[in-house]
Amino acid sequence: MTSPQPPALERAARPVSRAGARRAGWLIGGAALLLLAVLLSLAVGSRAISPLTVVDTLLHGGHSDDAVVVRTLRMPRTVVGLAVGAALGLAGTVMQGVTRNPLADPGILGVSQGAAMAVVVAISVFGVSSLEQYVWFAFAGAVLAVVIVYAIAGRGRSGVSPVKLALAGAAFSALMASVTSAVLTTNAATLDQFRFWQVGALGGRSLEMAAQMLPFLAAGALLVFGVARGMDALALGEDTAHGLGQRVALIRVLGALGATLLTAVAVSAAGPVAFAGLAAPHLARLLVGAGHRWVLCLSALLGSSLVLVADVMGRVIFPPEEVPAGAMTALIGVPALILLVRSRRVVAG
Amino acid sequence: MTHTAVKAPDGLRPPGRALVRRGTLSVLLHRRSALVAAALTLVLAVAVVAAICVGERTLSPVEVLKVAFGHPSPDRLTIELLRLPRAAVGVVVGFAFGVAGALIQTVGRNPLASPDVIGVSQGAAALTVGLLVFGAISSPFAIPLVSVTGGMLTAAFVYVVAWRRGLHAQRFVLIGIGISIALGSLTHLFLIGADIFQALHAKVWLTGSLKGRGWDEVKPVLVVLLAAVPCLLWASRAQRGLSLDDSTAVALGNRLDRQRLGLAALGVVLASVATGAAGSVNFVALVAPQVAARLTRDAHIPLLSAGLAGAVIVVVADIVARVALAPIQLPVGVITAMIGAPYLMWLLIRARAERPS
Repeated sequence: MTSPQPPALERAARPVSRAGARRAGWLIGGAALLLLAVLLSLAVGSRAISPLTVVDTLLHGGHSDDAVVVRTLRMPRTVVGLAVGAALGLAGTVMQGVTRNPLADPGILGVSQGAAMAVVVAISVFGVSSLEQYVWFAFAGAVLAVVIVYAIAGRGRSGVSPVKLALAGAAFSALMASVTSAVLTTNAATLDQFRFWQVGALGGRSLEMAAQMLPFLAAGALLVFGVARGMDALALGEDTAHGLGQRVALIRVLGALGATLLTAVAVSAAGPVAFAGLAAPHLARLLVGAGHRWVLCLSALLGSSLVLVADVMGRVIFPPEEVPAGAMTALIGVPALILLVRSRRVVAG
Repeated sequence: MTHTAVKAPDGLRPPGRALVRRGTLSVLLHRRSALVAAALTLVLAVAVVAAICVGERTLSPVEVLKVAFGHPSPDRLTIELLRLPRAAVGVVVGFAFGVAGALIQTVGRNPLASPDVIGVSQGAAALTVGLLVFGAISSPFAIPLVSVTGGMLTAAFVYVVAWRRGLHAQRFVLIGIGISIALGSLTHLFLIGADIFQALHAKVWLTGSLKGRGWDEVKPVLVVLLAAVPCLLWASRAQRGLSLDDSTAVALGNRLDRQRLGLAALGVVLASVATGAAGSVNFVALVAPQVAARLTRDAHIPLLSAGLAGAVIVVVADIVARVALAPIQLPVGVITAMIGAPYLMWLLIRARAERPS
């Protein structure tokens, strides 16, 4: 749609380029927002640092206290938050596109809790301790969640409705949460490691961790951008997508795989962060229309901004304590959910 | 159906029901419901005795019965001070959750519309934790009040937000789920904002465990339950009307809106006060009424049996929670969630398979 075939180019050149310019404008706007969020995340905290100092540190390094705080504490946390938000934004977009269900989100579908349970079990049973190892377990848990929740919600002829999907997700989440809390109750060491992780926190992360996330993030992004065209066709309906020559089953499987991988890497790094994957894609779709490649780009930017802003808010709300980003995104995201549910699209009647 | 039956001569009473008459008072008794209630009471009694026997030191049931009938026994202190109060909390909390679930499911005409799905329990928990950690609650007797307020406020909020040209069951449930998640985060936020001692206190309260609960927690729930008995008698009558379709119910002289509001309010109060006593014991309000309805095979959910089933579930789940990983005690809410969540999934699967087209 956005890169038209050669014959259509001449006829539709002007409107397409205008729409393209508008979309590019929104993308630049999203990037600017993200830049602002990054700057805030580097500057705000128990020790306020002026943005000028932050920029100076980033450009020239330095060994003042402020520079050390920015480099060793705030920088890793910001990078990890950025990656987590982007992963969740992408995962949410794909889940909504593949299921054609506006309420799909890693948190609501129980995928995050499934991944979290797997990580907690991995830590207490197998004693794994690095993100690279977490990710595989998280991925296994997330795949399990996707399969079970979708199987439960999709039984019968009338297909998957938002309510069935949300309820199956909620039930699965509750089950996983109870398993997690059973494991944590019995294992004090794991509990200590996971008290904050459990609700989606970004504190105490290292740049090394961010680097470990990168390959998984790249693989997931590759998968979801690969099925972007397919999802555009799928948005027109399953039969139409078939008619357009798309392999619907393949698109669904690849998309789901990408979304699960992205969720798994986000959960391994920060724990289950609620609602970030729900709000970002909807806002993005509102701004740049239905073309999935644009939506994916913008919702990655918006997801990152949301998680970073939530993290900053969590730092200033009860100083010196920090509220985990996951708790803040849940509070920010609920109005979005309510608006969605009240809109006609979700509950048709 | 029942109205005509009361006026009809004995030979014409509906099948499966017995007419009990004493003077001017006459009551139609669903025979199977009465039987099930009796059986559940028996099961509950056995479960309570078992709950008292099982623990760090296993007691023999004989000793328990001895103490129960006032005979001297070496285990008297253990039983009276530790085990009995805990079992009693389980019974009243389970009963309250069961009845609350039955009421709300009757109003919602939907097994999924239980107080923990629509956010009532989470609301009660959030407000209580909020006030606990900021030191606004000084006496344990204030907790039930605060919980009820929190539960009612949440129910009202979900109701108002979900209202758009009428109340749509799906919208109600979806918004309830969202609000539950947000309230969970809010609770967490309060825990972080508090100083460490208050937070620990609140955390213990929150986990949905019967550990360390006693008569202080039993009293408010029991008082509310007793106070609710007259309302429940009315409710079981009103329920009969609500289980018919709307036009039939109205034609029979039911004031539907008022009855629905009354039943729902009663359900919310019971669920909140139970949450206030034991924290979030998830899914009992969802499962117990369904079990009771399946056992009695009655047209509407039997309140007494639902309450008894809830009590049995909580007491048995607490035994499991203590035994499963002994000497570590799990919160009872973990066990009930492990039973209840798969059950909810099963309900979802079956709801699809059953629908004819």
